[in-house]
Amino acid sequence: MTTAAPAGTRTLNLVTAVNEALDLAMGADERVLVLGEDVGRNGGVFRATDGLWKKYGGDRVVDTPLAEIGIMGSAIGLAVNGLRPVAEIQFDGFLPSVFDQVVCHLGRIRSRTRGRLSVPLVLRAPHGGLIHAPEHHSESPEAYFCHTPGIKVVIPSTPADAKGLLLAAIEDPDPVVFFEPKRLYRAAVGEVPSGRYTTPIGRARTIRAGTDLTILTWGAMTETCAKAADRLAAEDKASVELIDLRTLSPLDLDAILASVGKTGRCVIAHEAPNTGSWAAELSALIAERGLLRLLAPVERVGGWDVRMPLFRLEPYYVPDADRVVLAARRALNF
Amino acid sequence: MPLKTVAKAEIKRLEILAPDGTVDKALLPKVSDALLLQIYRLMFSIRRFDERAVMLQRSGRLGTYPMITGEEATQCVPPLCLKPSDWVVPTYRGGGVYFARGMRMRDALLYWAGDDRGTRFPEGNNDMIFSIPVGTHLTQVAGLAWGEKLKKTKGVALTYCGDGTSSKGDLHEALTFAGQFKLPAIYVIENNHWAISVPRERQSASETLAQKAWGYGVAGLQVDGNDPLAVYQATSEAVARARAGGGPTLLECETYRLSHHTTADDATRYRSEKEVESWRKRDPISRMRKFLTAKKLWNDKKEKELEESTTRWIDQEVRAYESFPPPNPLDMFAHNYALAPRALIEQRAELEELLKFKGGARILTELPPAEGRFP
Repeated sequence: MTTAAPAGTRTLNLVTAVNEALDLAMGADERVLVLGEDVGRNGGVFRATDGLWKKYGGDRVVDTPLAEIGIMGSAIGLAVNGLRPVAEIQFDGFLPSVFDQVVCHLGRIRSRTRGRLSVPLVLRAPHGGLIHAPEHHSESPEAYFCHTPGIKVVIPSTPADAKGLLLAAIEDPDPVVFFEPKRLYRAAVGEVPSGRYTTPIGRARTIRAGTDLTILTWGAMTETCAKAADRLAAEDKASVELIDLRTLSPLDLDAILASVGKTGRCVIAHEAPNTGSWAAELSALIAERGLLRLLAPVERVGGWDVRMPLFRLEPYYVPDADRVVLAARRALNF
Repeated sequence: MPLKTVAKAEIKRLEILAPDGTVDKALLPKVSDALLLQIYRLMFSIRRFDERAVMLQRSGRLGTYPMITGEEATQCVPPLCLKPSDWVVPTYRGGGVYFARGMRMRDALLYWAGDDRGTRFPEGNNDMIFSIPVGTHLTQVAGLAWGEKLKKTKGVALTYCGDGTSSKGDLHEALTFAGQFKLPAIYVIENNHWAISVPRERQSASETLAQKAWGYGVAGLQVDGNDPLAVYQATSEAVARARAGGGPTLLECETYRLSHHTTADDATRYRSEKEVESWRKRDPISRMRKFLTAKKLWNDKKEKELEESTTRWIDQEVRAYESFPPPNPLDMFAHNYALAPRALIEQRAELEELLKFKGGARILTELPPAEGRFP
């Protein structure tokens, strides 16, 4: 799945793996620069860019004025002009202001110029809830981006994938929106290959193989779903195949259809409001291409169709293992 | 042909009360002793409140909290130039603004504890909820002011943004509308010199932020934002002009964020203690105390009484906040629409079943009744 890495691994958390990928990319390619709010001297509010400003200087690790449209639009200009910008939008809830640039330009410049110009940039942003953050700091806006043609959308859930996918995103000839599940920044700790390697964009990862039910998920929900799968194995004797999609656009349809074709039952779990969500697209694709293999309706477990509440009620909004288990049981007992 | 000057801009700065407590008598606004004392009490109380809020956060009794320490004059004074029916839209760093408008601070604590029931503003006030994606409210404020103009109320709308936010396009569009439609709007740029870790001089090459007014046909003035009398005078003039149909004003109130960006930030990573110390010497509260003492309106005994009554008030607000019952999870389905659509009715029922699954029916009876009307 991954290209060869030099021997040896180290134990890192997810945010440190992101930092390491940025460091390697900047070290290897002078065209790579990081821009965003507080990414320089402060090292980013989550410390994703910690140490880079000192190492590469303020011209390559740029504290921008507080202006998201400015960050996004200038990153597009830099990319069109031959640089490899990695732009950070500080929180998911600040992404809507860059939408004009994303929808009208980011994914269109290649096709509007019949391939003569391209926008090889990475837009990094934290993703998801449950860190007791203030309002607008806990959003899951992936569907808006997946709905937009011409861009790729990636969301890792392990430190090794964060590093490999971010390096792949920076190398990618097209724009990549790179979501980082913020509640895993420090909580997800794992072995990360040393040195430079890439993890291919567009490929899902099977977390555990199973035969009775497929759970499709991404981001921090992978942890919730792993707990649910444990309970389904212990309490229901159900064998769950758990898949981390890792790339939301373009989807790894082969992996999805192979798994659902095998199990015949599917639960899709995510944090965003269910209506019009990326789970809705997955559910539609499975119905279109795998209907005759299904033994039960596809279940979607997402946030409710209300805005993300303030953090006291977040645990009742973001699906927990109980909700995944109940949905799985509906599918298993259909 | 020779180049001609076709327009000229000039930016003035207003200072009345110096850090040492001396005043420029020629500029001293006509304000009652009662108002001077009110300004001092508000600034003093909100600083003590802020200190307590930080202690609560540090001991796990409050969520992330944005301090206003050092910015009390810029926050507490402009609301005193307004009527309750005038619109006020602070930023998320707006504790002093809301306090001066009469908000109960138990509600502010509740909000920063992650509870949606904390967004309760005093009855009869036109206070709008602040925006957290910064600057996104600025064009809305043009709309609020426009509404007052169309309704011929002589009402005004006053709002705030930071020096960082002044870099966003939102301010450009807001001032364009305010200037073009000659709206009764007052835009206060609360220049506290730091947008998290980015200093004012890295934010814009513009010499002042006040001069941004000029490109839009809006009156602009720089004000010593740590000088309560200058802030009062500048805001009063702007409000009077707006009420009289004279259009909008942009005030750059130059102050300083003495504390971290929020309790989640560590300002020692990016700025020097020396700089912070130089601004402590320009503190708005101590200069007001010196001024009031010189006017024989204030003394140590009154200070001690204020200290004690403030502590009692804060204790009472914290107790009220902490004894608030936990929110009912079903509340998240209330107030999304005037009339809840079918999907929400179904999802609410699903959450109710889930709560019973988790904790039995008991969990629902122990909580306060859920808000909103649902079948």
